Amino acid sequence: MNLGLDEHAHLGSPLHGWEPRCKFVGLMALIFAFSFVRDLRLLPAMLAVTAALYVASRLPFPFLLTRLRAPGFFLLFMAILLLFFSGSTVLVQVGPLALRREGLLELLPILAKFVSILMVGLVLFGTAPFLITIKAMRALGLPSILADMTLFSYRYIYEIGDDLETMETAMGLRGFRARRPSGRTLGVLASLAGTILVRSYERSDRIYKAMILRGYGRAPRRPDEFQARPRDAIALGGVLLVAVGFVVAELILRGFGV
Amino acid sequence: MHIPDGILPVAVSAAGYVSTGAATWFSLHKINQKENPQAGIPKASLLTAAFFVASWIHIPIPPTSVHLVLNGLLGAVLGYYAFPAILIGLFFQAVMFQHGGLTTLGVNATVMGVPALLAYFIFRLRNVVGKDSLAWTGVFGFLAGAGGLGIAALLAAVILVTTVPSHLDVEAERAGIYAMTLAHVPLVILEGVFTALVVVFIQRVRPELLENG
Repeated sequence: MNLGLDEHAHLGSPLHGWEPRCKFVGLMALIFAFSFVRDLRLLPAMLAVTAALYVASRLPFPFLLTRLRAPGFFLLFMAILLLFFSGSTVLVQVGPLALRREGLLELLPILAKFVSILMVGLVLFGTAPFLITIKAMRALGLPSILADMTLFSYRYIYEIGDDLETMETAMGLRGFRARRPSGRTLGVLASLAGTILVRSYERSDRIYKAMILRGYGRAPRRPDEFQARPRDAIALGGVLLVAVGFVVAELILRGFGV
Repeated sequence: MHIPDGILPVAVSAAGYVSTGAATWFSLHKINQKENPQAGIPKASLLTAAFFVASWIHIPIPPTSVHLVLNGLLGAVLGYYAFPAILIGLFFQAVMFQHGGLTTLGVNATVMGVPALLAYFIFRLRNVVGKDSLAWTGVFGFLAGAGGLGIAALLAAVILVTTVPSHLDVEAERAGIYAMTLAHVPLVILEGVFTALVVVFIQRVRPELLENG
């Protein structure tokens, strides 16, 4: 099962070798520290830390580029809203559109934070198999119902996706083309969605019975086997220090109003 | 409805996590009250995956096509499992496809999940008027679907316009909220109709799937 994320989960890098629980705590702390930053002067440092982490993770650069494409539209919308409608100091006037200074100053941190958090997120979830990361989250206190549901849904998403593709092909072969939003089109697509749900429901029933036969819910769960070595803890300490550093620097810069 | 990282102030992201924590706690509390809470997990998980996949179905609206949100339908079918299902779905979206974000997961889950829970309560009203009736199932399906997306769109618009561009004036903010909400009206109706059609289909084929509702 390859969902794109696990594609580079087995490369050898210090970040791949970092104990998953420590990695989760450290990088999530860094992500939230980044989201706290507003001061423009901290942005280069933030981007530098991000770049260093990404390089250290040995994740390929094209992997990052394909991941940046999806959220591009939302950012474009924000960029237009902020650049042309936020603030009063006009930098450049092009016809009826005026590029505004305040908007630009608001946009820069948004872009930098977006790119940094996305990259750290990729390092977090791209340097270990997804299942291991979820187990680490469970070991850190994620409620077991949530962890079980996450692992389960993850296991079946692409299988159900294949079902959808098969059904769409079958519909196409029988002459169905979704061109106009007519009542008939909507009815057929609703039946398609309904069939996906009903099939999954029926499958879940069989799976649950099979799981019961294998002892699901009876035997005490084996504790997840994670063991942090001293260097994992040191790395965690280092990353937490960087995260706290960003928060403190931001507070100082805000406090002094410089 | 996938607010990415970096846009919202950290206080809003934190508030999103608090409300998501509260809604998750409430949902898990209700689930644990069931006789055998584990029995529902495979069903809810596969349906979570199925909803994720069903949202890939595109409705043609020339010259483009739209995909449906299905949070109202999710509420109607999954009941108290709807909030965890949406939280998990959005988590997958964020880490697999970079739709939404990790810091905004709480906000996004609240925006989509709380209306899903409300849709569940709306859909449950069909029990009062007769749950075996296809017509009433359709009517409450419409209300759940339209309500789920409508409330979510309103929440998202309010959060985005009031917290993001700090230099926008009050008038522009209000106009922004109205514009974003109005733009969603045709989608809300479409979502309502689609949800009604799906629940009527399920009521015909596998009525026990709607037992939660």
